[in-house]
Amino acid sequence: MLGFAARRLAASLVLVWVVASLVFLVIHLIPGDPAELLLSQGGVAPDPASVADLRAHLGLDRPLGAQYLTYLNGLLHFDFGTSLQDEHPVAEDIVLRLPRTLELVGVAGLLAVVIGLPLGVMAALRSGQLVDRILSNLAGLALSVPVFVVGTLLVLVLAQKLHWVPAGGFVALSVNPLRHFGLLMMPAGTIALGLAAVVFRVTRGAALEVLERDHVRAAQARGASPAVIIRRHVVRNAATSVITVVGLHLGALLGGTVLVEYVFNWPGLSGYLVLAVEARDYPAVLAIVLVISALFVLLNLIVELLYGVIDPRVRRA
Amino acid sequence: MRGQRLLLPGVLVGGMLLVALAGPLLPIADPVRQDVAGRLTLSSAAHWLGQDEFGRDVLSRLIIGARVSLSIAVVSTVLGAVVGTLLGIIGGYFRGLAEMVTMRTAEIVLCFPPLLLALLVVTLLGPGAATLILCLAIVFTPAFARVAYAATLSVRSLDYVTAQVALGKPAALILWRTLLPNIAPPLIVQLSLTVAAALLLESGLSFLGLGVVPPAPSWGLMIRGARTTMEHAPLLLLWPCLALTGAVLALNLLCDRLREVLDPRGSGSGRPGFLRIFPTLRTPSPNSAAPAGLLAVRGLTLEIAGPHGPVAVVRDVSLTLAAGETLALVGESGSGKTLTALTAIGLLPSTVRVVAGEILYTDRQGVARDLLRLPEKDLRRLRGKDLAMIFQDPSSSLNPLLRVGAHLEETLRAHHATGSLGARVVELLRQVGLPDPPRSAQLYPHELSGGQRQRVMIAAAVANHPRLLLADEPTTALDVTVQAQILELLAGLKQAEGGLGMLFVTHNLAVVARISDRVAVMYAGELVEEGPVAVVFAQPRHPYTAALIASTPEGDAERLTAIPGTVPQSWAMPPGCRFAPRCSMALPICDDGPPPVAMPAPGRSTRCLRWKEMA
Repeated sequence: MLGFAARRLAASLVLVWVVASLVFLVIHLIPGDPAELLLSQGGVAPDPASVADLRAHLGLDRPLGAQYLTYLNGLLHFDFGTSLQDEHPVAEDIVLRLPRTLELVGVAGLLAVVIGLPLGVMAALRSGQLVDRILSNLAGLALSVPVFVVGTLLVLVLAQKLHWVPAGGFVALSVNPLRHFGLLMMPAGTIALGLAAVVFRVTRGAALEVLERDHVRAAQARGASPAVIIRRHVVRNAATSVITVVGLHLGALLGGTVLVEYVFNWPGLSGYLVLAVEARDYPAVLAIVLVISALFVLLNLIVELLYGVIDPRVRRA
Repeated sequence: MRGQRLLLPGVLVGGMLLVALAGPLLPIADPVRQDVAGRLTLSSAAHWLGQDEFGRDVLSRLIIGARVSLSIAVVSTVLGAVVGTLLGIIGGYFRGLAEMVTMRTAEIVLCFPPLLLALLVVTLLGPGAATLILCLAIVFTPAFARVAYAATLSVRSLDYVTAQVALGKPAALILWRTLLPNIAPPLIVQLSLTVAAALLLESGLSFLGLGVVPPAPSWGLMIRGARTTMEHAPLLLLWPCLALTGAVLALNLLCDRLREVLDPRGSGSGRPGFLRIFPTLRTPSPNSAAPAGLLAVRGLTLEIAGPHGPVAVVRDVSLTLAAGETLALVGESGSGKTLTALTAIGLLPSTVRVVAGEILYTDRQGVARDLLRLPEKDLRRLRGKDLAMIFQDPSSSLNPLLRVGAHLEETLRAHHATGSLGARVVELLRQVGLPDPPRSAQLYPHELSGGQRQRVMIAAAVANHPRLLLADEPTTALDVTVQAQILELLAGLKQAEGGLGMLFVTHNLAVVARISDRVAVMYAGELVEEGPVAVVFAQPRHPYTAALIASTPEGDAERLTAIPGTVPQSWAMPPGCRFAPRCSMALPICDDGPPPVAMPAPGRSTRCLRWKEMA
């Protein structure tokens, strides 16, 4: 198991390096000068002197190879340069905001599994019956409503019409834990809705497939009770498929945080990205994209390791 | 019939596209003309859905917005599909360097969450429709490449593609004419999935103000605009939300239905047996006289749903098994022998229905119980305790995620064993001859050989000292040398367990001769002959038994003879003797009706009208 984990970790690190290099290449190899692009607004050609200034500031006037090494060296020291908006080190903003996004993703993922998994198993056991049809259609609907529509409608109904909850915002955990979680519930619930639908559908499909397997029938032949069969044979085996598909949906999940943080004014990393893109704040955008992509790779690594924990056959491969 | 499933989503998506295409031709207001006096007014004769925060007509903005949103989604999807499919096919067909370059690139692009990749592109190129199309295409290309690659790999190895390569057909022609039609189904599904995803991404970016540039309408942009005034004009928010959700819903529905139609596997067969609350048969028991022996099957008839009504896959089967006896149930695949065994333990697939008959089991107290009329709860207490079963394929019958010992513990615990069971588990594994039992108990099924796995299955079956062992082709999936060992083990266990009765399902006559006391031969769902093994083999009283013996290589026949014809399809059974069409001795009366059971000698039965003439 340890060897398996080490191999996967090494592969992930290589992937992060490739992604970082790609991000670097994207800025430097696309036609046009980023500094010029940055300063041009509304089709007006920028002042050559300020372009030269910015080039020097961003280090764009140095040879490409040297720039790449500086860039990689910076990354190793967690130095992403300074923001063009406020001259603030980007790394500091990331350290401040990343935990908030992680918290959102974690709570949403947990909610989605807690809701989606049992309902999926239930629907599979009653496949074709009324319960299954109602749940499956609800999941289909939940998958089709964009997160920002869910979020906006929740704000409209729960906050503005019913005044049950504030429309959004953030209070640090250390300041007021109760209010912190109160404010967390709406954005987390919004992300969880679509993800729970995904978990539900995968669980249902996987459980239906597992129910037909010989070893489930063999467990029945041994006289095992329905509870034991469902827990030890159906859910455990279906879990591997669920984990795989949830891993595939992590990208959409992280993308969803961008929209949800924006809707609920949750000051996480993803919401900050929108501000940075609007301001065309290069260093910040690149750093955030890199960090979230690395996070994505890391989450996929965790998924793979989980897979190895559940399925003994994977560990040897 | 299946095509009908596409009708609803097809009409919805088609209608949507039609409205979007015809948008400029429709008599609707100018979607960008502002009317400050009429801002935020509700529906009127001139503006059916009201006017937005700039007084623009909401209905026309919805329609033209559909045009903008859908055209971006469709164009980017098509672009991604064409490029991705090409890359995937090339990578999958030519392999080597092309494979490495395309698939690794796809993998790296997939490392970026889609919305992030899009935001990166927008930062570099600035917002706008063209940027949107480009970045959506980049986002979706890898998915198509992967699907096309996987499909190409599987099609490429098919015989007829290999044949064309061998015939020297140009690669481009093979790709276009043979490969593309074959990998189309998964690509079509991916296509409808991607349009929906593109619509979501486009509207998300526009919602953030980083997609379609105002004043051009787009559903995402409309939601963004309506958000600021939603407290006073919630309807304004509702329309684009409904339009967007409806469009994605229709596309997702289309995708689901397409998947169903193009890949009709895995439509669940109904609820699993252990959820059955009622007994299999609810008709009262025929109340026949107390049976002699351990198990008596009487008049068992099983049906499945056929294209023209129910079909009897097992018809009027009767057999008896005494304590300590081994009865072999022989027949070709599809003869109903396995179904008969599964009925006894109550594990029939939910597609098969018990229509008539009784299965009387005499329990340890000497009370005969009808297994077909026993509630599931009571039947479960017998399973694994009184009745045990060994299945054909030991590798799929063990849960791959559980250790060997856990399987045995489960059997013991299901029947009220408590406390530490480690010693008992090791003892069981020793009994079935597994090497190093304490270590074997800690192994996972994939770490054992096929023969060892079957030994584990046997250990689980005999753990609670059953009185009846149902063995469904337990040696078929094993190597010949291992087969002999397993048969020896079963014979040994039978001796050790005293009165253990065994129903041994097999198609192998050599195995029958070796292990069983009596044999029952099944053909096309009917029991055609039954009797002591030696007598039946020496002098069969049914032409099918005779033909079966003559066609067995291990038999003493000088010449192997194949049985002419094939087993009739279950929904097209002959009205009379089911073997008559293939029988060398058939007479016209054989087709008149099912032949009655005759008893040539005590303990022997046959379903042939001409058994007396069998020499």
